[in-house]
Amino acid sequence: MGGKVTCTLGEVKNRADLIIYWGGNPAECHPRHFTKYTLTQKGKFIPKGRKDRTMILVDIRETPSAKAADIFLQVRPNKDFEVLSALRALVKGQRIDAARAAETGLTVEQLQDFADRMKQARFGVLFFGMGLSMTRGKHMNSAALLSLAAELNAFTKFVAMPMRGHGNVTGGDVIMRWTTGYPFGVNLSRGYPRFNPGEFSTVDLLLRGDNDAALILGADPGATMPQPAIDHLARIPTITLDPKVTHTSRLSRVHITTAATGISAPGTVYRMDEIPLPLRPPLKSPYPTDEEVVRRIYKAVAKKPMWLPLLEPTAKG
Amino acid sequence: MTTKRFIMNAGRTSKQGQQINVGKDHAEYQTIVNTLTMHADDMKALNVVAGASVRVRSEFGEAVFLCKEGKVPTGMVFVPYGPPTCRLMGQGTDGTGMPTSKNWEVEIEPITSES
Repeated sequence: MGGKVTCTLGEVKNRADLIIYWGGNPAECHPRHFTKYTLTQKGKFIPKGRKDRTMILVDIRETPSAKAADIFLQVRPNKDFEVLSALRALVKGQRIDAARAAETGLTVEQLQDFADRMKQARFGVLFFGMGLSMTRGKHMNSAALLSLAAELNAFTKFVAMPMRGHGNVTGGDVIMRWTTGYPFGVNLSRGYPRFNPGEFSTVDLLLRGDNDAALILGADPGATMPQPAIDHLARIPTITLDPKVTHTSRLSRVHITTAATGISAPGTVYRMDEIPLPLRPPLKSPYPTDEEVVRRIYKAVAKKPMWLPLLEPTAKG
Repeated sequence: MTTKRFIMNAGRTSKQGQQINVGKDHAEYQTIVNTLTMHADDMKALNVVAGASVRVRSEFGEAVFLCKEGKVPTGMVFVPYGPPTCRLMGQGTDGTGMPTSKNWEVEIEPITSES
């Protein structure tokens, strides 16, 4: 597993002639993606806009995004890793077994055509969504896709980019990365950062019941996480900061209404290509911002005595 | 009672995204997250009509949804994420930090007046 060969959305707009969406439904989940960056915009090296671009959609069902695609490839559920492995083989000129290819829901001809189009592109982009990363195979699916993008650079320019979720999830990852060195699942309880997804990640902590308090910022785990994790949040003192009353607010001991970022609160968000964008709020809010609330909580906590028992030096030292 | 196994595919819809800004207690949001989409042939096989209730069971829990016909492959149902899908979702993360929240196996049965 290597890193991510990527670029900015501006480069996609100006250069990409092959756009691939894999396990994502931008027509519904990122409705401005096609029109702002990937399909309809004319770019410096894409003078005719949509006519100069080819879009391929890979998914397990025909979503509304299929209408925008030139080619829709419907793979069987949980077969993404197999399709990606087959493509990596075809790109390198290796042969694949027709019967095994058929198990993925695609024919060898479809896969060969897909591989050829990727190699012949001038600048290709692989956008991948939760349909790839949250299904069977998970991080291995993402790794296979990132490897495919990296390997295609032996033939042409190819990049990959995850279709990050709503809000500012990219910002969360980026800030964690440059403050602790890790993007998520970071444990600071020993005073220095430790990273271990599966142990220190939120869902796992809650499922095991390891934490005895929770501060929820800009998220609604009460409507997205497995039920035992939600039950644990209801058992412990949970504080939620959100502009709206959410499912998590209902199970929290305290809900603090905050101003909506970008509407009535300033700040910085990171676009999915990790470009920071400043926000200028057009409205004023009677509620404090998330930052103000967290700063006030921090100040109040700092006044409390240290919770760790101080070690008494023994007579013998 | 007819029961059938399906692959449950959960995801987001733009209507759901709009409703989040209206409020999650709103009736329309509740309807969105409590409705599953099924292929017409599967509905016939299960003997359910559009708007009927079905009970969905997974390895981890169960939930009741309204059923509607839609463009999904046979053998698959689509549901927008919400509290009902939380009850059905996989509970391990396989060391990745992400629960399996797509493509898990479920059993679906129609709810009749006797059940």
